[in-house]
Amino acid sequence: MNAFDGPGAESPITRLVEAFHRLPGIGPKSAQRLAYYILRAPDAEAIALAEALIEVKRSVVLCARCQDLTTQSPCRICSDGARDRVTICVVEEPLDVRAIERTGGFHGLYHVLHGVISPADGIGPEDLKIQELLARIRDIDTGVTEVIVATNPNLEGEATAMYLGRLLQPLGIRVTRLARGLPAGADLEYADDVTLGRALEFRQEVG
Amino acid sequence: MPTRIPRVTKTEAIVLRHRRLGDADRIVTLLTPARGKIDVVAKGALRSRSRMAGHLEPLTRTEVVLAHGRSMDIVTQAQTVDAFTALHRDLDRLSTGMYLLEATDRLTFEEADLHTVYDLLHAALVRLARGDGLQLVARTFELRLLDATGFRPEWSQCLSCNAAVAADDAAWSPTSGGVLCATCRSSRGGAVPIDSKVLRVLRAFQALPYEEAARIRLEPELSGHVEHVMHELMQALSEREMKSAHFVATARRAATRVAELPDDDDDAAATRW
Repeated sequence: MNAFDGPGAESPITRLVEAFHRLPGIGPKSAQRLAYYILRAPDAEAIALAEALIEVKRSVVLCARCQDLTTQSPCRICSDGARDRVTICVVEEPLDVRAIERTGGFHGLYHVLHGVISPADGIGPEDLKIQELLARIRDIDTGVTEVIVATNPNLEGEATAMYLGRLLQPLGIRVTRLARGLPAGADLEYADDVTLGRALEFRQEVG
Repeated sequence: MPTRIPRVTKTEAIVLRHRRLGDADRIVTLLTPARGKIDVVAKGALRSRSRMAGHLEPLTRTEVVLAHGRSMDIVTQAQTVDAFTALHRDLDRLSTGMYLLEATDRLTFEEADLHTVYDLLHAALVRLARGDGLQLVARTFELRLLDATGFRPEWSQCLSCNAAVAADDAAWSPTSGGVLCATCRSSRGGAVPIDSKVLRVLRAFQALPYEEAARIRLEPELSGHVEHVMHELMQALSEREMKSAHFVATARRAATRVAELPDDDDDAAATRW
């Protein structure tokens, strides 16, 4: 019997193709190509992939403090005694933590919202890890003095940042936002009004 | 001879929303005066050095050049005409702007003639950015949007028998889109009483030109009731929860809500550092 011709979705190859097809950004052709690649790959490679998938689902949890993805809670950053514990950088997604860590320029703690306020996509403040952030800040023992809002510089990111500012400023917390300006290598001619306006507003002295 | 679709078109547009397409591209929903609501592809818009991304953010009035594509047009150039920057400095104005975009998106269909809707949205965003009253801008926009899209609510005559309805003895039904007289209200499910002051405000906002409606001064409580009625109506007509309407109210309450938050309970403390 052809491996594709089993009883409908029960065929192992069809099941694999459908599993790949459910992944974001994978169309039917890409799903078929990936399935064929796995079929042709050495057994060890396919088994390693399967084991990695099972392990990631079994061992990765949310850090009880910062809500980042981790294999142990509290995570490595939250457990690091050398970090500045009074500054929290709020980011949209776990990948943003990695991006900021790569800069080597931030030594405080993080808080991952797992999204951003986006009414058009049906996401409101109650769908994000905002209550967990408030609980951390309201805990006197943490002594947080500054929250850096590092959401993306777009409409949803702006709305989320302003909403957090409105929630946190009455608690006596300094709420700051990542500077908004021109990216390295950009062309001034093509900059949008909001970006160029902010770049002018927050200009810095040379030298 | 069949009309040839031009390979490249230039149009003004207001960006309603966008969604991700693959690793680097975006599908952007535009409201245009001539072509109505259209989805277009902005290639590379997710890259930090994209020349178009900033010009294709929601709440931006922009001029775009579109290349005709097989399923969707592709943006080849974009230039901001008005970024409504004042909205980005005030959470209440920003959330109201987001609500206007969602309301427009929900009540319109692709490829329909939306010239009037475009003018309405543009005027509302200009008024919002220049500091006009939030309730005034939002309520007058909603009523005119409903009118332009064929959902005009009826605030004066009974939806069932067409009799004139007295403001102090009226009920209204969000799903039916208007008021019912004392005799007919029992025949329609979901009809609830409506405050006479709220009904008078809605009648005035619907009938008066914007400049005259702007002279009406509303107490915050009455303003809240009017907003509640309109949000219920918009939600019933769009047949889905309007998250941005909820966010407008949540954002307004945010500062006071912190003060009202209960102290951390034992469960929360257990997961806390």
